[in-house]
Amino acid sequence: MIQQVANPAIELHSLTVAYQQKPVLWNLDYTLPAGKLIGIVGPNGSGKTTMIKSIMGLVPLSSGYVKIFDESLDKVRSRVSYVPQRGSVDWDFPVNVLDVVLMGRAKPRRLFSRYSSQDKEIAMDSLKKVNMEAFVKRQISELSGGQQQRVFLARALAQQADLYLMDEPFAGVDASTESTIMDLLKSMRAEGKTIVVVHHDLQTVNHYFDWLVLLNTRLIASGPTKEVFNSEALTQTYGGKLNILSRVGDLVKEKAHPLREK
Amino acid sequence: MQTFLDFFSFTDPNVRWVVLGIMAMCAGAALVGVFAFLQKKSLVGDAISHAILPGICLSFLITESKATWALLPGAFLTGWFSLIAIDYLTRHTKLKSDSAIALVLSVFYGVGILLLTMIQNMELAQQSGLDKFLFGKAAAMVYEDVLVLIGLSILIAVVIFSLYRPFRLLSFNPEYAQSLGYPIRFLEGLLSGLTVLSVAIGVQAVGVVLMAALLITPAATARYWTNSLSVMLILATFFGAFSGLMGTYISYTYPHMPTGPWVVTVLSVIAILSVLLGRKKGVLASQRQLRRNGRKMLEENLLKCLYHLGEMDNEWQKKRTWAEITQKRLFTKKQLQRAWKALSRKKLLLADREGLLLSKEGEKMGRRITKIHRLWELYLTKHLHLASDHVHEDAEAIEHVITPELEKELEHQLGYPVLDPHEEPIPYNEDDKKDT
Repeated sequence: MIQQVANPAIELHSLTVAYQQKPVLWNLDYTLPAGKLIGIVGPNGSGKTTMIKSIMGLVPLSSGYVKIFDESLDKVRSRVSYVPQRGSVDWDFPVNVLDVVLMGRAKPRRLFSRYSSQDKEIAMDSLKKVNMEAFVKRQISELSGGQQQRVFLARALAQQADLYLMDEPFAGVDASTESTIMDLLKSMRAEGKTIVVVHHDLQTVNHYFDWLVLLNTRLIASGPTKEVFNSEALTQTYGGKLNILSRVGDLVKEKAHPLREK
Repeated sequence: MQTFLDFFSFTDPNVRWVVLGIMAMCAGAALVGVFAFLQKKSLVGDAISHAILPGICLSFLITESKATWALLPGAFLTGWFSLIAIDYLTRHTKLKSDSAIALVLSVFYGVGILLLTMIQNMELAQQSGLDKFLFGKAAAMVYEDVLVLIGLSILIAVVIFSLYRPFRLLSFNPEYAQSLGYPIRFLEGLLSGLTVLSVAIGVQAVGVVLMAALLITPAATARYWTNSLSVMLILATFFGAFSGLMGTYISYTYPHMPTGPWVVTVLSVIAILSVLLGRKKGVLASQRQLRRNGRKMLEENLLKCLYHLGEMDNEWQKKRTWAEITQKRLFTKKQLQRAWKALSRKKLLLADREGLLLSKEGEKMGRRITKIHRLWELYLTKHLHLASDHVHEDAEAIEHVITPELEKELEHQLGYPVLDPHEEPIPYNEDDKKDT
């Protein structure tokens, strides 16, 4: 079931993405509502991370486009915040917690600017929201996995965006961090923020998310969790790739065949 | 001594310029190198410096001059081109970056050597001495060369200083930087350009083969001393400049000594010392930590042993003879001596010829270790489902590492149990339960 919404926070229009010719996202076409907690669920290698990255303009699109708040990303960039996977950075990098959170206050349009005292206040405030204010000067290499994740969230909070895209914020965190993060996400939703979360734990899907996207290279379902999260949809999502679709994908790669005529 | 004074008074203008030029060049390379190092592109520097050789030869063929300004454009061009080649190979072929770097390095260097040999067989006025670019020859630099070196090094420093934050963000988390809207292609290009530039200007002084060392070694060395990027930049610059100074001095003092290899040698000595002595992750620091752990375990074991002896007659403030102690737990004479001396210094026990007596504080610590030992045994049987005869060894080690916070959590989670898996009582100190 794919349910479209009016005035969406995110709109994907026949989005196809390929890595080294092989399509990893095939013709995604859906809308996501604003002000909701949205889960993206699918097996490993189903393209969840790629989808988030393509929304953030971090991977080249083979076809289609993305609109955020009915605009192109560049027009609304300051309203969008991205939380990459924790494992995507080197945590041995010589910076401390505050340095990382302040990155959320960086101003790309003014390359030479420095941080204002207001930026620092916002950063401290964000750290408080994730219960990490005691770690301000701590080296990031000395943090536990859950603490690292909270630092990443604090950095995103410091951006004061309206839409948050989070790649596996619950991966490898302890139970107390998970509930801290969840409380935070709920309070953000109460403020009208839209939060999209790549998630891998089916146990918690039901009581975490209002809206669910089921993904396995192609879109399987997008709609309110209650209506979408059922055994039929899950079998489709986790029951393996579509045989013909993946064979066509292999063929495209093998022949270096274009994905659009253009 | 006279040469020392001659050199360091910098009265000889020739010396003055060469030293300044080398130091500036080394400092510039060290600055850029910090970012190359943090982006895990250490090997790229090596590829660039080798790829510069064909560029130098081409420039020479066109201009027939060996001046830095004349050779720089060609050097920069092929250096830059090698980066593009590496980038293309990793992106569009099955080659991983290490193979791509190896491939580009050898192909460019091969072409360079080819051109060099060709030039040497030609009848050109200036040709002799171009082969110095393999290992460098600082003394061959003239005033104009040095000016170029200093000017470009200052340029590198200014760019790095003013774009410090964007470069840091780019090196730490490029995808995030892009998501914020940073022009990361431009910034990456700029950083690569600075790298190529610093290598290109350094090649004349230290040579193609050794240039990569000037780029990466100062950064890697500085990392052993600090966890802060700004301090790392300062330290790397200092290490680079200092090696430049000392290398030039040595080659000044002993005729026929090449500058480049000496700069790199000094740098390497600093690097080796840092690996040994470094405050962060240095070899000696980790060994000190190991020794500290060993001492802590030994001392705590003695306290625990005395506490156990007390448990037998419920009397902890009683002197225990040496025989009793060694019977309870196997300490060597040396161990025992080391432990009681340290503990009596900390006023945790009193010692005399006959034996040892725990102080009030010592008794408390002995009780704490015993408690943690038994709590941990219980934890293992409960949560790791281990049989009770499999938990003692584990607890013997872990009892020494548990922090007060973890101790509280352990007590809390297990619900202040009174018996361990071996039915032995778990003792608590008076203030243990107050804080909950």
